[in-house]
Amino acid sequence: MILRRIAAILFLPMMFAFGSGVYLYLGTLKSKVVKTRADLPTVTKPRLVLPGTMFVVQDGRLFKLKDGGFSEIGGPGDWSQPTLTPDHTRLVAVLRNGYSSDLYLLDLDGHIVKRLTKNDSRIVDYNHWAFYPRVSPDGSTLYYSYDGPKHVDSAPGDDLSIWSMPLNGAQYQARRRTDPYWYTGGDVSPLPLAGTALLYVQHSIDPSTAVHSQIRLQSRTGDLIGKPLTSLADDCSQPALSPDGTQLAMICTGGKQTARLEVAPFNGTSLGPARILIEGGLYASPAWSPDGQALAYFAPSGAAGHFELWWLAVPAVVTASPSPTASPASSASEGGAASSIVVPSLPTTPVPVQVTQGVDLSATSPPAWY
Amino acid sequence: MEGRGPARRRRASRLHPVRLVVLTLFCLLLSGTAGAAAYFFPVVVAGVSQTSQTVVVPPNDSPGVKATPTPAAVPGAPFTVLLLGSDDDGKNKSPLTQSMILVRVDPAGKHVTMESIPRDLWVPLSTGGSGKIDGAYAYGGPAAAIATVERNFHVHVDEYAWVGLTGLIKLIDLLGGIDVFVTNPVLDDAYPDDINGGFLYGYKTVAVLPGAQHLDGAHALQYVRSRHNDINGDFGRSARQQEVLLAMKVKASTLNAADLPDIVSALNGKFKTSMGLDRVRSLLGVANAFDLANVKQIVLYAGLYTSYDHGAAYGGASVIIPHWSQILAVTRENFP
Repeated sequence: MILRRIAAILFLPMMFAFGSGVYLYLGTLKSKVVKTRADLPTVTKPRLVLPGTMFVVQDGRLFKLKDGGFSEIGGPGDWSQPTLTPDHTRLVAVLRNGYSSDLYLLDLDGHIVKRLTKNDSRIVDYNHWAFYPRVSPDGSTLYYSYDGPKHVDSAPGDDLSIWSMPLNGAQYQARRRTDPYWYTGGDVSPLPLAGTALLYVQHSIDPSTAVHSQIRLQSRTGDLIGKPLTSLADDCSQPALSPDGTQLAMICTGGKQTARLEVAPFNGTSLGPARILIEGGLYASPAWSPDGQALAYFAPSGAAGHFELWWLAVPAVVTASPSPTASPASSASEGGAASSIVVPSLPTTPVPVQVTQGVDLSATSPPAWY
Repeated sequence: MEGRGPARRRRASRLHPVRLVVLTLFCLLLSGTAGAAAYFFPVVVAGVSQTSQTVVVPPNDSPGVKATPTPAAVPGAPFTVLLLGSDDDGKNKSPLTQSMILVRVDPAGKHVTMESIPRDLWVPLSTGGSGKIDGAYAYGGPAAAIATVERNFHVHVDEYAWVGLTGLIKLIDLLGGIDVFVTNPVLDDAYPDDINGGFLYGYKTVAVLPGAQHLDGAHALQYVRSRHNDINGDFGRSARQQEVLLAMKVKASTLNAADLPDIVSALNGKFKTSMGLDRVRSLLGVANAFDLANVKQIVLYAGLYTSYDHGAAYGGASVIIPHWSQILAVTRENFP
């Protein structure tokens, strides 16, 4: 009898422990997609050391990537789309605030230097959006997308137009630069060129009412609708001009849910034949390396689907010897990480290299890289 | 004393090592089963309360349409699901179905066809009279929605699945968000601000920027629900809903049985379906098998398939008038 009691006493905790173990074990069998949550960039180690300094965004927080490591800059808030001034001494970034967004001038540590726009209102209808800030090559003018005026005869929808204002001026000095195709969402991604010329992306519809994106060139300030540089059917957007101004990187979808990363020669007035660098994925926000020989962009990695930073050497059309200092170096010297990869210089076939792992970078905020 | 000897032997024999091992294994099996049962308990509860919902569809007098929905008899045979989505925010006692999508799944051919039904489509309702098709569910539940679709579109609906807005948000968050390529900016100055317990008829501004991006549940909902500044109105929204469904499919293809309790708790009370757990499980298998290239998407855009109208004939409402010859042709072709 005593033995049975002892056995029972021993069996009960054993059963409880085993049952709990089974419960916990089943929990470990969950698919990665359910379990995976993104890490903060600052707790990750990039696989590559990219040249220069890059600013990216995750979950409304600004991060600086320099010398193979991330550091967070700036204060709290929902920040996005940082862009550099041409002298690389300031950033302009978007701060979303519930129903509206504003542009701010920041120093390179993310401290606010000046609020550039005031788009918030206690009355919902009077709120406005400002996105895609870009500073002109001479540093004098700020270009951006803005949803004003709206719901008036001349502007019936909520759509975005391209606006410009003096970087050192005030919002009342802003002028509308483009006339959007109403109810398509409007014009985005301004890319000011030398002088007053402007590249931007217009959204419009074809006769079958399908919405397309198209890169356009506005040569003169008074032309509210620019000249198309890409076809409607190609659905190209997110233009990024190389540092020497001779190549345009862009994302094209052809109306599909997958994209192509393309590069085309640009002579200031028209695009040459585009080369497809990679295709078939969800590529976003290409940005040129400071030397103009590589691109950084965002794309998901694996089932978790978070957007990671990728690096891609751009094969030269005319064979050129790469500068030894231009290519990213192995991060082994920075910390001896086992995952470090040595990137070949200017491969003939572009091979994307994943730079980050386990983060979730904002794919609608192009990297600001210098 | 002599009588106690055999009893002691019997007791001693019960603790024989073989018996002890058997008893141990039995106890482990019992406790393991209890552990597994505890893990899957939410699934069982949901399986009882949310799946295998019985619907009695009124007889259908449309030519070529079966009287009532019946599960596909042959495993692996194509079947049609009517997906229903409602903003169950409390504005209406019986929610409308702002999203109605016919989905034909062909497991053998690994092919999926989706046809979005405009919410404002003016049709004869199975419950009597005519009205916008999104009211069928409100008037008579899933049975009325199925019957209305069957009678007007001349299709046979095998199953239905209904999801509420907050259920969709939680499900997408559980999946870790979805990846979509947003074609154009989605800006809406009159987006309903009714999810987080605020004023039911309040509104706010939303902006979803174009390009490939990762959307969490709340932003994915903004993407599929906004329609006020879309040049294609509800049709544009329908196309976006299909994009999100496909993005969810990509994520769902990585799920397994161990994820079911989390999914069930996420969808608690916000999901109903006529499908049994076995068919839900087989659908996950189908999601794994087919490629996005084998998905056909149909939106009944204004012009060819429909046209806009409004006025007293429709109770003063703005409605969408079906062009049945074109609609039935495309439906018959894709939902044989």
